Amino acid sequence: MGQFIAGLLLLLALMIPPVATLMESVMIIHMHMQMPMLIIAGFFMGRFFLDRFPQFFKKYNQNGLPGILLFTIIMVYWMLPRTMDEALTVQTVEAFKFISLPFLAGVPLRDSWKKLNKVGRNNLITLFAVMFIGFGWLYIQSNAQLCNNYLVIDQIILGWGFITMAICLVIYLAYSLLVDPSQYE
Amino acid sequence: MIKNKQTLYSCLIVLVFGFSLFFVGTDGFTAYTAESARVTKLIEEKPMFPEVTLEDSEGRTYSISEFEDKYVFITFIYTGCTTVCIQLEQNMAQVYEKVPSEYRGKEIVFLSISFDPTRDDPEMLDKYKDMFKSDGETWRMARIPNQNELDSLLEKFGVIVIPDGDGNFAHNAAFYLVDGKGSLVDVMDFSEINEAASKVTNLIEANKGE
Repeated sequence: MGQFIAGLLLLLALMIPPVATLMESVMIIHMHMQMPMLIIAGFFMGRFFLDRFPQFFKKYNQNGLPGILLFTIIMVYWMLPRTMDEALTVQTVEAFKFISLPFLAGVPLRDSWKKLNKVGRNNLITLFAVMFIGFGWLYIQSNAQLCNNYLVIDQIILGWGFITMAICLVIYLAYSLLVDPSQYE
Repeated sequence: MIKNKQTLYSCLIVLVFGFSLFFVGTDGFTAYTAESARVTKLIEEKPMFPEVTLEDSEGRTYSISEFEDKYVFITFIYTGCTTVCIQLEQNMAQVYEKVPSEYRGKEIVFLSISFDPTRDDPEMLDKYKDMFKSDGETWRMARIPNQNELDSLLEKFGVIVIPDGDGNFAHNAAFYLVDGKGSLVDVMDFSEINEAASKVTNLIEANKGE
């Protein structure tokens, strides 16, 4: 229950209009801080749902694949330039952001992650590294303003943010392939 | 990999959900940026050019009805711009050149509208127009002195202008085409010069043929 409260408080804090407006005023904070924090909030709250409806998750997310699919779809959706823009201009899209990221990405990620084996996890990380490089390239090389609410320079910063994340993921992958932790225990 | 039926079903449900989400979110996989969505919507809605007073480089003032029964080819700019406006106006000049000269002024008028009325007075616009060899008659440059009127036009035509605090603006750019009755008929990609020129020429010819 403690985790659920923590997640809920985080979600509510992020929803406070001045906080939301502040975070959304900078493109990279919008995408690489606000959105991940929403997922983290869902991840914490997930404990409650897992305890409450264990049968549901056992039955419909037996091997974790459906949950990961859902997580990935929601992630890709929020990486599109258009959805970022519309979150600022269309109320329902903004509301959908605060619902979908915690509950349709955070919660399924929590349930699915522990069900994946090492290969599955690394595949997922590889997929995201490739996607981040792709989106990073998209945001960096595009001279046109992809988002009407942000400047081109913000867009380039966001692009490099993606590339930086991808580099971190690649470093992790290299580490997990090359280093065998049991040798050091 | 998928061992039981329920997991298969939930995978399918998730995929269908994802497909519908993207389908709705991108207007049927056509608009991935808010800009393309805006253009699609504008072309559907065909908003009217509002009643605003334009003041051109020669200090003449008039409303859009000055161009009644003529197509008006419009761009939105500010003269202090060092980036996209120059490209936009250069491309507009090329479209201007490509439209048969007998139509210019008679069937179609080119109009660059400044959204920085405080700095872009008639004198400034006059200097700016010479840079692009605009004649001030068949291709005019104008400002809308009244800020409220300007805002109403920008909002209707979906032009988003963000001041950056240093006297510059971030803004979206496109070619706008308004018909003889003052309603917006097309929003075109400003980098597709040939396409825009032939579209405009065809429209004029079709209109004359009627």
